[in-house]
Amino acid sequence: MTDDQSVPVRFTVNGREQELQVGAGETLLRTLRDRLYLTGAKEGCLEGECGACTVLVDGAPVDSCILATAAMEGREVRTVEGLSQVDQISPLQQAFLDHAAVQCGFCIPGILMTLTALLERQPSPTREGIETALAGNICRCTGYRQIVEAAMAVAAEETS
Amino acid sequence: MQFCRAHSLDEALELLGQWGGDGCLLAGGTDVMVQYNSGAITPGAFIHIEGIEPLSAISINGRTTLGALNTHAKLAADGDIASRHPAVARAARLVGGWQTQTVGTVGGNLCNGSPAADLAPPLLIADAHVTLTSLNGERRLPLDDFFIDRRATARRPDELLTLIDLDPVPPRGGEHYVKLGRRGAMDVAIVGLAARLGLGDDGNIAFARVAVCSVTATPRRIREVEAALVGVPLEAGAFAAAGQALVAAVSPIDDARATASYRRRVLPGLLERAVLRCGEDIRP
Repeated sequence: MTDDQSVPVRFTVNGREQELQVGAGETLLRTLRDRLYLTGAKEGCLEGECGACTVLVDGAPVDSCILATAAMEGREVRTVEGLSQVDQISPLQQAFLDHAAVQCGFCIPGILMTLTALLERQPSPTREGIETALAGNICRCTGYRQIVEAAMAVAAEETS
Repeated sequence: MQFCRAHSLDEALELLGQWGGDGCLLAGGTDVMVQYNSGAITPGAFIHIEGIEPLSAISINGRTTLGALNTHAKLAADGDIASRHPAVARAARLVGGWQTQTVGTVGGNLCNGSPAADLAPPLLIADAHVTLTSLNGERRLPLDDFFIDRRATARRPDELLTLIDLDPVPPRGGEHYVKLGRRGAMDVAIVGLAARLGLGDDGNIAFARVAVCSVTATPRRIREVEAALVGVPLEAGAFAAAGQALVAAVSPIDDARATASYRRRVLPGLLERAVLRCGEDIRP
């Protein structure tokens, strides 16, 4: 894959315009981690099964390990780094801390992005809605319980 | 490898004509990029077609016409698909997770030629036809004839699958898709089965269509079962003969997910489950 033609591509990452030359078959995950040093998204399975690499493209969750960066022309990408301001984490991130929803943490950037997309569409989702949304994010530590509780807490905050 | 962006159908067809079999169509990429990452495919170019707007349309004119670039997420959420093609909507929700459904397209699901394509059985029971377009014109063929073998379809290297047209579920009819997997999410079907029924005035099954995936080398309709279902009352235990016809009509694949004999064991039960569930949706 080193003989890939270099392709110009312009898109935004966390609101900032990026103009890059990338390999024709380069994945968005590789671009984010190795060119932009945004290492929040993780490489788990490299085949779109585990969700550790989940980022948002135009507001919807995608597996960045099986997405070509060259296909991102004009699109809007958001990563876990974009959820927080300098000294202010998002309500969802705070809820993860409050509910001890993180163990090893490898899957968490992806899970935060999927849940962020869900909460933006549906500020107070049901437990079932949360579980369905997370079908493509695998966590091997927590058993999901605290993760779902954290998301429920943000949803409850929204309705109260 | 090169990356070619097609902004219109004409551009895509030009590029396909130019690259032929060395050009790899890229839409959502959920299958293509996995194959590319692993080195299973080494194309000369990706031909990126995801942005060709007209191919993301759904239009209704008697039959339903789907542009090939409709995503699973759109099929799962669209109101017309929910009412006219409930089994298609359900199958779309059962493919992968949200991430896969966001970008994976119906055209890709079919052109990938997987025996386990979840959208195929619900499209087959709707008498789906596909339109294949190239610089030399277009042709339309039944989806049943599109699937040739595992990973092999009737699409020629210079052709783009552009449209899929299908029949809505009829009045006094119902349809359902059942997917057997190890877990509820992110699973490839061990067996997928779609059924569509219409009831006669006597309340018995007047017409039936049944199709499967992950059973044979390609998704396919099983006409022997359809014949065996006609005239049968819609009640539990009435489908033994149809179940036998189903098992007799296929010689199931043996693969990493299940043995052929396991598939034979579960097929009659899945047929009954799907058929009874169709019945629940039929309004008297």
